[in-house]
Amino acid sequence: MRLIGYLLPRIAIALITTLGVSILVFLALRFIPGGYADILLGPFVTPEARAAIAQRYGLDQPVVFQFAHWLWSLLQGDFGVSMVTQKPVIDEFLRRAPVTLELAMIALFVALAFGVPLGIASGVAGRARGGFGRVIGAVGASVPDVVLGSALIFVFSVWSLWFRVGGYVPFSEAPVENMRVMLLPGLTLSVFGVALILRTTRDAVMQVMTEGHITTAVARGERPRDIIRLHVLRNAAIPVVTVVTTYFGFLLSGAVVVEVLFSIPGIGLYTFNGLLNRDYAIVQAGVLIAALVFISINMVSDILYAAIDPRVGTGNRR
Amino acid sequence: MNSNRSEITIMKFRPSISRASATVALGLGVAAMASLPSLAQEKTITWGKPAEITGFDAHVAGTVASWEMYQMIYETLLEADESLALKGALAESWEQTSPTSYTFTIRDGATFSNGRSVTADDVIGSLERIKNPETASYWSAQLGDISKMEAVDDRTVTVELAEPHPAFLPALAHITAAILPIKELKEGSFDPTSQMLGSGPFMVEEHKQDESWTLARNPHYWREGYPLADLLEVPIIPDQSARIAALRNGRVDFTTFADPDSPQMLAKDNNIKSSPQQTTNYYRVDVNALSEDSAFHDRKVRQAMNLALDRQAIDDFVFAGTSEVDYPVPGAFGKDACRSLDAYALPREERIEKAKALLKEAGNENPEVGLIAASSNPVLGRIAQVAQQSLGEAGFNVTIESIPTAEYLQRVFTDGDFDFSVSWLAGYTDPTMVIAWWNPEFAIWNQVFQESVPELSAALDEVKTMQDSPERDAKLAEICGMIDESANLLALVSKTDYVVYRDDKIEVKVPEKSGSSDTFQYIEEFKPLD
Repeated sequence: MRLIGYLLPRIAIALITTLGVSILVFLALRFIPGGYADILLGPFVTPEARAAIAQRYGLDQPVVFQFAHWLWSLLQGDFGVSMVTQKPVIDEFLRRAPVTLELAMIALFVALAFGVPLGIASGVAGRARGGFGRVIGAVGASVPDVVLGSALIFVFSVWSLWFRVGGYVPFSEAPVENMRVMLLPGLTLSVFGVALILRTTRDAVMQVMTEGHITTAVARGERPRDIIRLHVLRNAAIPVVTVVTTYFGFLLSGAVVVEVLFSIPGIGLYTFNGLLNRDYAIVQAGVLIAALVFISINMVSDILYAAIDPRVGTGNRR
Repeated sequence: MNSNRSEITIMKFRPSISRASATVALGLGVAAMASLPSLAQEKTITWGKPAEITGFDAHVAGTVASWEMYQMIYETLLEADESLALKGALAESWEQTSPTSYTFTIRDGATFSNGRSVTADDVIGSLERIKNPETASYWSAQLGDISKMEAVDDRTVTVELAEPHPAFLPALAHITAAILPIKELKEGSFDPTSQMLGSGPFMVEEHKQDESWTLARNPHYWREGYPLADLLEVPIIPDQSARIAALRNGRVDFTTFADPDSPQMLAKDNNIKSSPQQTTNYYRVDVNALSEDSAFHDRKVRQAMNLALDRQAIDDFVFAGTSEVDYPVPGAFGKDACRSLDAYALPREERIEKAKALLKEAGNENPEVGLIAASSNPVLGRIAQVAQQSLGEAGFNVTIESIPTAEYLQRVFTDGDFDFSVSWLAGYTDPTMVIAWWNPEFAIWNQVFQESVPELSAALDEVKTMQDSPERDAKLAEICGMIDESANLLALVSKTDYVVYRDDKIEVKVPEKSGSSDTFQYIEEFKPLD
């Protein structure tokens, strides 16, 4: 019951946030310069042609009416059709979701595999000896994906070194080929994650290490490995879970730059191209899905807090 | 006990299992043998396409990214050869029976990929569709004023124009005048806004938006034995570095680049070759003469800018000298028009001095102007940088803005909210077609920034009715002078396309010159070597 009481307000806020995001993106798209008519006709867009295209896609209706129509269709599971292909955008999102999910999983796996152990090691080593954590964290967080990705593409286009740039094939069809294509973008995406998780873990571990119960455990003569496992990690987990879930949300909602750079046909690339083409249904659906993913992941992280620290759900945390 | 029972069961079924295994193996073998010839014959070529189409409707889309794909699927009545002379495509022959009358005979065997023959009704219906204002085709104006069309028989069409329009034939050679299957369109089994069904060498087998196309050979293509490839795979690879990588690792057989840097870098690879293609297209500057907020509202400032632009520097620094300074009448047509104008003929120092004098006369010796370029094409940004520097020598303070394509298009062609912008213009296959855009009443798209010069518009209307002749060349030269005086829409340098391919994987045929943005005009002759 307490957990339900803890989650219900969050669900309500999530619904309001989703509606707010959908209104914002809908309006923003209508107010940014340029429309699909410009993209389709190039410079040759006459007022008559613009009007004809607007009428074809219902863009000549008042914005409020357009929004109401879109929302009503959405509630019935209709995310709209692409202006370019005239096909339902939800089909494309469903087709592309596994690609983005795979990319996100690779990046998350690498980020966790390196970020958590390095963060713990750096945190336990302390300020005096844990400088490597700061350096890796700073470098990883400072290098933009676009720079790292471009550098990797250049290097691996000159020396293939087993990896391939572009040419995505599903894992189920050709696992090895899939890995050859997906590992580079996955690694590119993971670098920021490594830095983020490393720094968060390091700070959390260092914080916990200064607390009294750790000193007590040391005084009791517990082995350092047990102290870290039983006392440090559990207490340091909450901030780490927060950043990991947020990072995963970011990855799932479309790692746009990396997908564009490596021509990975995920939802980020689709939404990005939709935005460039002013293909409204794609962008509206893409942003809404991204928002839903973020919100859902935050909900999961809220639940995880409660599981990790029982005081969270009861309001007894001090 | 259980173990024994299992052994007995296995023993009991062993003969049956053996027989079944043999049958399956035989079946698989037969199936494999049967599929061997088709597998062996399946020849695929892969084109790394830099951009996705912007729409399916061949009569409507105004972007090269779309035209390139339509050219694989659709055909036009005519096409231009390497010397920009017209030749038959879907039309086996044509005849001009009077200055306004034409008769076209459709090629025997021309067939849509669904197996139906191309008929005179398809030609008439396609041209009617382009002319129909509801289609919103910008190509309508280029076709001239069609007063009457008749199907003499299934393969013969006559077209009557209201007045002479020699550019009618070249206009038919552009893919925007593609012949669609009108019968299917009228029946409702074909929607040109979401499907492609043509009589060209390939047909669409699969399309994954923004990802790839798979085109299969059109089994009914009229040219016997072509296309040479059974499949044309088309991954969409916008990133230039990714296209370079794809060429190197063999994922694509051929692709294109907008500047010579990548081809030059790839030239070090033994198996990669480059084939530059000269076009009638050129990079241009649109200048806003109508906005009172712009320094270019003053004609003298525009003229100064025209003089101060260093076209040769653009060629040298952006295109490594592989391009050419170009003119409103594209240099690729081999005409002398425009070449003697001050902006081209005077030495640079004199031009700068003249530009400074003009700015002084205008009372604006250091005009503050903004130059915008669409961010989707990095070449435009580089041209803008060279222009910024060269104009600075005359006293201009240029601020460059790189913005998304949709925003660029709206600001320049709809809102007129800019000072000047850099872009490129298709030159087509007749000089009167491209130069017609200098008449805002004809072009329409430049009405928000181009001043109306009645004598220029009249001259442009007149030259459109003239056959290629010394008189027409003289008129073109006269028009060049007026264009220069107005300095409202300026040619910079020619646009060369760079086709880069793996010569160990494919044999390509790329015409040295193209007038219809039809780089892969001979795609059916691209031969896979694998």
